[in-house]
Amino acid sequence: MSQSLRPYLQCVRSSLTAALSLSNFASQASERHNVPEIEAQSSPEVLLNPLTVSRNENEKVFIEPSINSVRISIKIKQADEIEHILVHKFTRFLTQRAESFFILRRKPIKGYDISFLITNFHTEEMLKHKLVDFIIQFMEEVDKEISEMKLFLNARARFVAESFLTPFD
Amino acid sequence: MLLLDYQNVLIESMLKDRFSGAAPVSIDQVVSDFDGVTFHISTPESKTKIRVSIHVKCFQELVQYGAQAVLEREYGPYIVEPESGYDFSVQVDLENLPADQEGKDDLIRRISLLKRNAMAAPFEQAFDEFAQRQEEASKYTSESAPQGVLEGGEVRAIHYREEEAIYIKASHDRVTVIFSTIFREETDRIFGKVFLQEFVDARRRAIQNAPQVLFRHDPPLELEGIPGINTSGSGEVGYITFVLFPRHLTAQRREEVISHIQTFRDYFHYHIKASKAYIHSRMRRRTADFLQVLRRARPETEEKERKTASGRTFRVQA
Repeated sequence: MSQSLRPYLQCVRSSLTAALSLSNFASQASERHNVPEIEAQSSPEVLLNPLTVSRNENEKVFIEPSINSVRISIKIKQADEIEHILVHKFTRFLTQRAESFFILRRKPIKGYDISFLITNFHTEEMLKHKLVDFIIQFMEEVDKEISEMKLFLNARARFVAESFLTPFD
Repeated sequence: MLLLDYQNVLIESMLKDRFSGAAPVSIDQVVSDFDGVTFHISTPESKTKIRVSIHVKCFQELVQYGAQAVLEREYGPYIVEPESGYDFSVQVDLENLPADQEGKDDLIRRISLLKRNAMAAPFEQAFDEFAQRQEEASKYTSESAPQGVLEGGEVRAIHYREEEAIYIKASHDRVTVIFSTIFREETDRIFGKVFLQEFVDARRRAIQNAPQVLFRHDPPLELEGIPGINTSGSGEVGYITFVLFPRHLTAQRREEVISHIQTFRDYFHYHIKASKAYIHSRMRRRTADFLQVLRRARPETEEKERKTASGRTFRVQA
């Protein structure tokens, strides 16, 4: 793990742990409704201060806490066109399977590549520290996966080009 | 499986099967090949007479560049009147095959190369033109040559697909083959760029004698003034130029070079698709890993013994 990655992840981990103190909170606007307040944005008094943790301009995490839900958005590093297309493909692939990921949001918020929404029902059902682990591991592995795919693509392209041109030699 | 075959494997295996002496049966089969080429294999008169017809989108152009002569040279006595709806037909009589195995194999090979041979005509013509020009140019030094000699000849265009074409141009010291190709999707465009960059670099790095490969989005200068060229220079269209040097154009190598360069487009797109498929399967695996991690967040629910109010327990019957 590189020098700047460790404190970055550590910071995300502690901010996230702090943000994940959620309680059940029924909607104040309409009776018998219980919605994630961060998504509804209907009562400003239950929203907390949003927080951005950024490693550099291309990699950052945006945490928006509220009384009963937290929204976490991740911007994944994209150094060039290839990484951009790979990130796009990968996040689309994941969001299409949002149903089985429970906490994954179907659509990322603007300016980010992927968003998670954790509500008090998730923290009641699942272990909080494990959820944080999941987010951190996701961040670590997604970078690794993208760069591995890029390397693979380059290696394959090289091999393919050389095998086509060899018969001319 | 890295390189594509030059021949049509289905035709090859079918003829091999028929020629091996099995009882004749009637055949009626349509076979598709790359670039929208279709074959029709049938036995119209009797079970022993197999007719193979080919339909190529750009057959008129090919004829213009001397395809008829090339096909006559390759298939001479087997040529028959083209079947309606197709451009060219050959017919073999199972009762009248070459006597030895070698002759049979050669015939099978030649018929399965029908598409390759039809498409080869403009290449052969360009290679001949190159030889002529080389001879002519050798009479002059580079300074004193008259204008027309050093410049290349006409550009032969083969519009072998809807929006894609091959252009071939011969000059006194090289033959230039230009493929125009379309990328429908953003992903294809970027993957294509990665692949083509490696084609361009391969010569510098490993294979010094390979043809020079150039890639650009706007039409190369060779194609100036050719009708039907998209000059918008948008990212969708790409032009890949192969520069064949005299060492590739010698009589003993030309067969192989023509066959090989024809497969370029299909080979290139095939590998783009294959990479996409691989990356897809990788993402699938990685997603499964992530799910596994998330599943760990769920506390295990221990199965406790349940009792009724009176203290009796449930038991699963064996």
